[in-house]
Amino acid sequence: MRHVKLAATAAAALMLTAACTAGETTSAGNTGAKNGYAAVADTSLPAGGVLKLQTHVDTGAATGLDPQMADVATSWQLMSLVYETLVTVGPDFSIQPLLAERWETPDPTTYVFHLRKGVTFSNGRAMTADDVVGSLERLRKAKSVWSGQLGPITSVSKTGDGTVTVKLSEPYTPFLAALANVPAAVLPMKEIEDGSVKPKDEMVGTGPFTVVSHRQDVSWSFKRNAKYWSQGKPALEGLEIGIAADEAARVAALQNGQASMAVLGNVDSRTTLRGATGVQVADQATTDFYYLFTNTRKPGSKLADPRVRTALNLAMDREQIAQVATGGLGKPTAVTPAGLPDTCDPKTLPSASGDLDKARGLLQQAGAQNLSFTLSIYSTRPAPAVAQVIQQNLKRIGVTVNIEQMDEASWAGKVYAAKPTFDAGLSWFAGYSDPAMAMRWWNPEQAIFNTAFMKPDAELNTLIAAAGKATAGAERKQALSAVCTKVDEDAQMIPLVTRPATLGFRSDAVSPGLYATEGYGNLLRLVTDFRAKKVG
Amino acid sequence: MRLLLWWGGRALVSAATLLGVSILIFAAVRMMPGGFAETVLGPFATADQKAALAEQYGLDQPIPAQYWHWLSAVVTGDFGTSMISRTPVADELGARLPVTAELTLIAIAVALLAGVPLGVLTAVRARPGGGGAAGRLLSGLGVSVPEFVLAALTVFLFSRYALGLRAGGHVPFGEDPAGNLRSMILPALVLSIFALSATARTTRDAVLNVLVEPYVTAAVARGERPSSIVLHHVLRNAAAPVVTLTATIAAYLLGGALIVEYAFNLPGIGSFIVQAITRRDYAVVQAGVLLAAAVFIVMNMLVDLAVGLIDPRLGTEAGGK
Amino acid sequence: MRKAIRGLDRLSRAGLACLLVLVLLALVPLTGLAGDPDEIAGPRLQPPGPEFWMGTDNLGRAMLPRVLEGIGTTLLLSSAAVAVTAAVSTGFGVLAGYRGGAVNGLVMRLVEVLYAFPAIILAILVAAVMGPGRPAALAAIVLVTIPLMTRLVRGAAAGVAGRDYVTSAVISGARLPRVLGRHVLPNVAGTVAVQGTYALSVGITVEGGLSFLGLGVQPPQASLGSLIAEGTGYLVAAPWLVSGPGAVLVVAILSINVFGDGLRDRLEPRETRSLV
Repeated sequence: MRHVKLAATAAAALMLTAACTAGETTSAGNTGAKNGYAAVADTSLPAGGVLKLQTHVDTGAATGLDPQMADVATSWQLMSLVYETLVTVGPDFSIQPLLAERWETPDPTTYVFHLRKGVTFSNGRAMTADDVVGSLERLRKAKSVWSGQLGPITSVSKTGDGTVTVKLSEPYTPFLAALANVPAAVLPMKEIEDGSVKPKDEMVGTGPFTVVSHRQDVSWSFKRNAKYWSQGKPALEGLEIGIAADEAARVAALQNGQASMAVLGNVDSRTTLRGATGVQVADQATTDFYYLFTNTRKPGSKLADPRVRTALNLAMDREQIAQVATGGLGKPTAVTPAGLPDTCDPKTLPSASGDLDKARGLLQQAGAQNLSFTLSIYSTRPAPAVAQVIQQNLKRIGVTVNIEQMDEASWAGKVYAAKPTFDAGLSWFAGYSDPAMAMRWWNPEQAIFNTAFMKPDAELNTLIAAAGKATAGAERKQALSAVCTKVDEDAQMIPLVTRPATLGFRSDAVSPGLYATEGYGNLLRLVTDFRAKKVG
Repeated sequence: MRLLLWWGGRALVSAATLLGVSILIFAAVRMMPGGFAETVLGPFATADQKAALAEQYGLDQPIPAQYWHWLSAVVTGDFGTSMISRTPVADELGARLPVTAELTLIAIAVALLAGVPLGVLTAVRARPGGGGAAGRLLSGLGVSVPEFVLAALTVFLFSRYALGLRAGGHVPFGEDPAGNLRSMILPALVLSIFALSATARTTRDAVLNVLVEPYVTAAVARGERPSSIVLHHVLRNAAAPVVTLTATIAAYLLGGALIVEYAFNLPGIGSFIVQAITRRDYAVVQAGVLLAAAVFIVMNMLVDLAVGLIDPRLGTEAGGK
Repeated sequence: MRKAIRGLDRLSRAGLACLLVLVLLALVPLTGLAGDPDEIAGPRLQPPGPEFWMGTDNLGRAMLPRVLEGIGTTLLLSSAAVAVTAAVSTGFGVLAGYRGGAVNGLVMRLVEVLYAFPAIILAILVAAVMGPGRPAALAAIVLVTIPLMTRLVRGAAAGVAGRDYVTSAVISGARLPRVLGRHVLPNVAGTVAVQGTYALSVGITVEGGLSFLGLGVQPPQASLGSLIAEGTGYLVAAPWLVSGPGAVLVVAILSINVFGDGLRDRLEPRETRSLV
């Protein structure tokens, strides 16, 4: 039994190490946070220096680096270093000026933008109203996700020197929020049209940084755009971004100083990095949220019965999912993401009663007492944890969930197939920066990707359209609330909890800024204020 | 002449094996569920976009035609284009090969330089009946700790207590030779543990086999010094199994390197192939696996050659299997 | 077999004893005493204590039943795979070794092709093609372990084929099945048994490696590999998540290897020894 002893010694040594390191603690909350911010950069520090960031994934689309085609937040984040939009999002989701200095809304379907003067692309050419018009026209034709989110644009025109007017066919309240995301960025249209810049292969924008080099799935190198329009910004000399797929490798890089900042995926990163000298952890709430979707078009599926879906929704313990699967960092949410202004309170939804007896009764009525179905998920954390809590939740009403975990490609192949055979799936939506945006996916005719498994509901579609039109205030709140309730009852796609983001950084190497809540998954939104320490 | 003929046959057989690998990998890649289109275009892509992509990469052709195009291109050194990076696969393979090569070469060097003396020592010192238990247990432990456990532990321990070494990340040799070594030592050591233990075990067995041979007994009777016996009689005659093992180990290390590259975030071939598999980047998977198989097959031929030089009686026979 | 075990040295017998203990531990969940491995039973990441002997994991599930389930999953999966490997390898190996000629050439080329794939890449491809889960892990282990065992069985069978007693049996008119069953199979059984133990340890490693890359058994089922993969993210926050299953995994592989060594010393002549 000698080897048992050996192994036990190794285990004991391991625990001892852990106990020792747990002794020294740094306060992780001490990031100078103020209202609306998870961290505030110390702008009194001198400018200069390079930020070494490690993240988990590179851009990797067949559409290349074209921002208008980018549909995932990890790409938006990288592209935001080079590209800028007319407006941007503030800490409280208010819309702030960026390339447009100011704008007017003479009537609910007309937006007049006055462009900032002195803005140049990194190739040295000054940005003109033609670039703005051309970019938006190109986006409208692009048939990308964002051309849909941008709303019912009827015309974009240059209405003066440095003035651009956008006309909508009907009021669309999320318009400015949609305009604030990277796919709506202003591109160097003159060069794109004459073919000297290929947006798929290179990035030329007005943003704070320019690309020095890129090695797919290995690294990005950015340097300060010397011609950047905002005086004294960015403070950083450059960014070195490393791609490390393995979370442990990123944590290691943060601890040994190879990275001054790392994107973390484990909800317990704070505990993991406790005692690592100089390392701090900032958790950011996001509007992204997990949802369970059912294949109601699968012939013979019990999930096509609304009573069954209502039962499942009733048994879903969102609070437990948030506490257990996301370590308390996520929040229960309705179809309007938690954290956004005017969002619905998930506690007011019909399913919030959590009435398990009612759920069992509904299953009985539907003849689905011993319901068993397969939940298709991908292996990216914390999705497996969410699925396993759901499994336990539904066990309470006698429903058996078989989890089928796949790599993302197999998963996508299965759920987005032309004739999908899955029972139910789990995924998350980017929540965006306005409560009426993500809900568009509940209308399959707009969303397209779910037409093969989701039946459209005419009433729900009308409500979603009305919520998009409703102008701010009580009217909007009411319209949003109506959608929330209807989505909860329909329960073909069931919103669950928001998805947290975590950033680890070395307080001896960097002073970052971070909003408390983010809509477009951009941890580098405030990068122009970041300060690198130990300069010179 | 006979030898030349034999080598010609050997090369043909190797080529046939490689052809078999190419068919198998091509079929496996096409059998993976989840299309390249969903993966690289995303769920929002339209049917037109998917069709355009398929046409661009020739994926709208019948499978046998695709295979033929691919194979005929590979013969000319063209491994196709990555759908993710949109650059030639050969370029990226070329950039990543040195990392994996360095990693495995250091690991093999460590395994041989430490494993062979260790094996000889434990064999020469072995007393009949017991005594070897501690050595057996230790080398047994070496082959029993999987890389993914060892790698995770090492990354964790050395990222907190660096000791001048780097756990994770890669420094190109051309940029900073010392930094390169510092970043490669730990992953190479983790990778070598299995090979080291295996080498020690094989050497020990081989030496024990030789020690009972009459010519060794005769040398002892002649009163030759033990060190001279080991050098002149034992090592030469025990070398064949160890050299044969080196080929097996090299193949094994290429696989092990994958886990180590992943855990230590090294941009090598292994992590390249895994990422390509998960994203259905067909050309990359095919090229990577073919390369690994080619290395393995060439290693085997070299080993046959080496064994033939060491012991002409064994050479052709070992290769015939 | 009993004779073979009696002839083992002390270390190998200790290895065997360890294995038996692990098998017994794997049987505990069947009694229902260990508790539900999937139930969220308490707070997350509780250290080992009186209530949870091995602590709780990141979902608040008790680790003890999970580790016990993991032992069972891993042992069952790898031994089932090795049984398949043994059957397939013995079949093809004996055929190729005894028949020789073109059959031998064909079998050996196929084996060579499989052998040329790095093991873990082969396993990942299988998991990708079949979709992760037990069948894929089983198939992966089989494909990874088949080449070596087939080669060695072929070698042993070829060695036997030339022996006088086989020749005399063939001359005296014995049918092929009888020759194979009576003379060839018993003589390759030792090789199969020894290689089987090594294949078992390779199988455990392959399953673990697949789980490490997120391609192993399906949640919530626990295997030693999946537990360790989950635990490596918690080396600081909850070291008990990895130390328990990690120790069991190493002990399991070590016991199998040590036992295999002893078995080899008993059953195989020195020349046909192989290492991995």
